[in-house]
Amino acid sequence: MHAGETALESHWGGGALPFGASWQKTMMWIFIVTDALLFSGLLSGYAFLRHSIPSPWPRQSEVFSIPFIALMTFILITSSMTMGTAVTASRLGDRKKALRNLIFTIIGGLAFLGCQAYEWTALIHEGARLHTNPWGPPQFGQAFFVLTGFHGSHVFSGLVILIVTAIRTAMGRTPAQGVELAGLYWHFVDLVWVFIFTLFYLL
Amino acid sequence: MDGTHAPATTRSPYRVYWITWVILLVVTVTMLLAESLHMPRWFLIAFLLAFMMVKATMIGGNFMHLRYEKRNLAVMVAAGILVTSLILFFFIRPEARYVLEHSSH
Repeated sequence: MHAGETALESHWGGGALPFGASWQKTMMWIFIVTDALLFSGLLSGYAFLRHSIPSPWPRQSEVFSIPFIALMTFILITSSMTMGTAVTASRLGDRKKALRNLIFTIIGGLAFLGCQAYEWTALIHEGARLHTNPWGPPQFGQAFFVLTGFHGSHVFSGLVILIVTAIRTAMGRTPAQGVELAGLYWHFVDLVWVFIFTLFYLL
Repeated sequence: MDGTHAPATTRSPYRVYWITWVILLVVTVTMLLAESLHMPRWFLIAFLLAFMMVKATMIGGNFMHLRYEKRNLAVMVAAGILVTSLILFFFIRPEARYVLEHSSH
């Protein structure tokens, strides 16, 4: 009993490192959980829309170019791989490799945002708006713009963080943990896309 | 560094990212191909959801390093998000059905 209490104390006692991570990393994780709940709410709202409207939901393959969406997914997955490489390189003290991979990640993020801007423009030209669209239920336009818009804004803020991190890395002023925290946020953006890609574009 | 363990240290520390990247691409392509196959809708949904969770686990575990973190951190993140999302979804589902039934009358 006493040993069990000691074990609990060591894990949950609120010591300096209850999660075995620095306070910065712990706070980043808590932020990521809360941000994930925001997207969880948005996706649940989207599920509500799809379940509650009598008219059929448009077939995604008739509205979107799925190969183009797959290309966007490829770009984001690849940028996550370069980000992971940058995090490890930074930890190993290889500043050049960390910076090079941060730049690759930024290019990937810019390419993704460019693709998203192109997709939005194409759909707006075809008549898609927040409250109307040519393919049927108006909720389709709402779900599309809100989900991809929120995600795109996260990609944009992630890019700002990455650019600042890259500049500071080039100046030798970012500790390895700074790159790791930026990486956690970037991977989170990729993670959210996995859900949007499956639940909105494929299902 | 202990010289007797030299072979173990020759493995690239970046290998895990390349492997994860390849797996994510293969899973994504498989999901896209599954769309074009004429399988029952319920099976396609289960298939895509399962593969979506595989991708999420790979990103969380390998890219975000959750599998190397202390277990209570990993549990807080994974269980917190999953349980809350499921509660949200299953609480609104009856509401959606109610709205659907009343809007069709």
